Amino acid sequence: MKLIKAIVRPNKVDEVKAALEKLQISGMTVTEVRGHGKQKGHTAIYRGQEYNVSLLPKMEIEVVVPDSMADDAIKAIIASARTGEIGDGRVFVIPVLESYKIRTGERES
Amino acid sequence: MSSEPHPTATDPRQEARAARTSRLEAARGELAEASGRGEGGRHAMRQYSHRMDALIQQLYADAGSLTQSVAVFALGGYGRRELCLHSDVDLLVLFAGVIGPDDERFLHAFLNPLWDLGLTIGHHVREVQEGAGLEGDNSEFLLALTDARPVVGDATLLDQFLAASDVARTNTRTLEALKALIAERHARFNDTFYQLEPDVKEAPGGLRDLFGAQTVAKLSDPALLTNGGAGTRALEDAEEFLLRVRSVLHLEAGRHHNVLSHEVQERVADRLGYAGSTPSQRVERFMGDYFRHARAIDRSLRFALKAAPAPIGKNLVKGADGVRFIDTRVAAERPETWLALFQAAIDEACPVADDALACVGQNAGRFAPEAFFPTKAHREALLHFLKPRPGLYARLSEMHDCELLGQMLPEFKAINCRVVRDFYHKYTVDEHTLLTIRNLERLANRPSRERERFGRLLNELQAPELLVLSLLYHDVGKWTDDDHTLESAKMARQMFDRLDLDAEQRAEVDFLVREHIKMSLVAFRRDTEDPEIVRQFAQFVGVEERLKMLCLMTLADVEAVSRETLTPWKEELLWRLYVDTYNHLTLTYGDEVIGSEQLLHSALVDQPPADLSAGEVASFLEGLPRRYVQLFSREAIYKHVQVSRDLAPDSVNAWLTRVDSGWELTVLTHDRPFLFSNIAGVLSSYGMDILRGFAFTKPTGLIVDMFHFTDDERFLELNDEGEAELLKTLRDVVLGRMNIAARLRGREQGAFRRRLPGFAPVVHCDNESSRRYTILEIVAEDALGLLYRVSRAMSESGCDVDLVLIGTEGRRAIDVFHLTREGVKLTPDQQLEITGNLQRVLEGRS
Repeated sequence: MKLIKAIVRPNKVDEVKAALEKLQISGMTVTEVRGHGKQKGHTAIYRGQEYNVSLLPKMEIEVVVPDSMADDAIKAIIASARTGEIGDGRVFVIPVLESYKIRTGERES
Repeated sequence: MSSEPHPTATDPRQEARAARTSRLEAARGELAEASGRGEGGRHAMRQYSHRMDALIQQLYADAGSLTQSVAVFALGGYGRRELCLHSDVDLLVLFAGVIGPDDERFLHAFLNPLWDLGLTIGHHVREVQEGAGLEGDNSEFLLALTDARPVVGDATLLDQFLAASDVARTNTRTLEALKALIAERHARFNDTFYQLEPDVKEAPGGLRDLFGAQTVAKLSDPALLTNGGAGTRALEDAEEFLLRVRSVLHLEAGRHHNVLSHEVQERVADRLGYAGSTPSQRVERFMGDYFRHARAIDRSLRFALKAAPAPIGKNLVKGADGVRFIDTRVAAERPETWLALFQAAIDEACPVADDALACVGQNAGRFAPEAFFPTKAHREALLHFLKPRPGLYARLSEMHDCELLGQMLPEFKAINCRVVRDFYHKYTVDEHTLLTIRNLERLANRPSRERERFGRLLNELQAPELLVLSLLYHDVGKWTDDDHTLESAKMARQMFDRLDLDAEQRAEVDFLVREHIKMSLVAFRRDTEDPEIVRQFAQFVGVEERLKMLCLMTLADVEAVSRETLTPWKEELLWRLYVDTYNHLTLTYGDEVIGSEQLLHSALVDQPPADLSAGEVASFLEGLPRRYVQLFSREAIYKHVQVSRDLAPDSVNAWLTRVDSGWELTVLTHDRPFLFSNIAGVLSSYGMDILRGFAFTKPTGLIVDMFHFTDDERFLELNDEGEAELLKTLRDVVLGRMNIAARLRGREQGAFRRRLPGFAPVVHCDNESSRRYTILEIVAEDALGLLYRVSRAMSESGCDVDLVLIGTEGRRAIDVFHLTREGVKLTPDQQLEITGNLQRVLEGRS
């Protein structure tokens, strides 16, 4: 199993969600996050004064998928979240050793 | 034999005088007899007062013809019908209008016979209009007025007299005066009522204290004396006792005398029928009763002074449990006064008392919505009430709970306890709506550090009450399952006529209600880093004021969904959309000019008034920034077209308009050096505080400037020729016939001396945002002549001031200038030069 963590633009969440659902991946966790990439944000000007916008609002989508589906899921996320501009986000893939259902205690492999 | 000649004819005046004397003596005889029997109490005095009324009515009738309405009122003890044998007779003679010679003749004819009768008359003469300054009248008169009772003439004059006064201030001053008089009087008696030879009127525990306690109750809470102190029964007994004693004292002394001395105590005890085998026994019993009654009065007075709620408005007092009506029976029939109850509670930072809420709740259903706003003043009072500040949510909730809100604004009833089941909302629709207002209120009152930026937006709004009104209506359409935004807007329009909103107010509320979810959709669902999304949104909102309103509405609305809905993350997205849109509106509008293609299907061009052709309108509009049509009403635009039509090259067409919150100066002329700074300088030279404004320049050189300002020194209001003088000065200055610098110097020096420690000014030069202009943004502490000085510095640097946006936020001036030099943007060196010059000007170094 793989845990896929995608940091995407806030307005791209619905599109990413739809793309994953097409792959029958319906379970996911979505979190509002703030951060920056290599550009470390940017400066904005309001009423003549500059201020640093270092932490940009993004959405983090987490899904756990079987190894066999990981590549498709990653591709689907990238395709749906991409605009081609700076700030499109990142996808991280992390191996998952074990998974349990809390209600039943059942272990999933 | 001689005999005295008999009068051949009776002198009618002598006859009348004799008749009056005889009537007065009969009345006095009646009271004296009762007093002698020890029965000169309330009943006997009432009878005597009644006889005095008849005498005064007769004198009024005999005083001759009247040229205007006049009325006579009994004041003080006579007003209470407790006229004693040798008491002063206090009167108020009230005239409807200005007192003229005929009225003075009437006064003499009325008052002289009273003096001739040997009565001691205390008379006050007033005109109804003098009620306006009543709170400044002498304190004895204010106190006597609390017992005023009509005797003869037009009794409504007193209502008119009082209606002209500031009731709350008058009542407050009356109470303060009463308290001071009581303290002063008590001090004369060493602050104790245990006097062995007491003055039954003046001493502590005497009649003046009794009337004092009653007056406190009358002015604050009629039920006060039943709720504490000695109780009403004990007070009635004390009053009867003291009045009887006083009657005997007057009878024994044959004059106005109220001291119960040792010598007279025996005779009073005898006349009052006290039993005892010796005079000492009878006196001891009598004086024992006296002290028991004095103690009851003292106790009640102390309670009244301690517990009396403070008068804070007409029929309104503030007590420990909040604001309440003094007289609920009167209030129940006057629904137009109810809003003042809730307004007073906001002003006093306290709740509305339960009994007042009960009164409103029991009666609200009896009245149609129109009954709450019968006049323009009442409708304006509602808008004033809706200004966001601490307490508004709580008061609106009280109004909702007692069903007043739904009765005043019946559309609100549609969402009363309305439940809409979804995954997000945690409250009923009505409470969600009221919570949006609480969120706004919190922004207005020392918001958290994270929210300060939104709080500043709220402070900048010109009409925050319209935002609250819009919030009240934003979800009323949720009674139906259809698109609630359209339904809400439709329902809000039903309220427009009822509140008689003007066209601008209607447009604002309609937009906000209809589009209240638009900004959250763009902020949270669109890519706001895409300039095109921002441009479209800026075009949608049009102007900064509307952007600020929509931004605050979104913030308040999202936060009221549940405690968790508005995350810092969402706040940041919302703020960034606001900033990007604000920058687009203020920095790039110069590039978006009206072209011929936009004019093709424009209603402005297609439907001009009869005296203008479509061509004239189109020709005027072409080349102006699109923003121009969003800032001015259709009527204003047509007026500009008309004025510009015949504008000679060396003429200045300017006019002043009175607006709700100040004045507007509109100037149409042709561009010339230092034009903008000269106009700003003229306004400052008259002490005007420029709050907002716009300056537009057409490619043809035609200038349309509009300044919104306040006239804190009331020059225009107090001088009949003020407007004409200001406009003449403006023309003279603009056309170079007068130097504004000298005129302004004295005022500026004064203003600089008064300046408070401010903050560092900001000058930001932007050569990127606009294709055509260099943009200078200035944020500085507002000061008289600021606009004049900075715009003059720009002109002195060789810049043309083409477009200007003027704004203020509290003490901060926020101005955006679009500049060119010889028709093009400034070079980097020129930018350095102008920013340096401006910094020096703003720091007072040049």
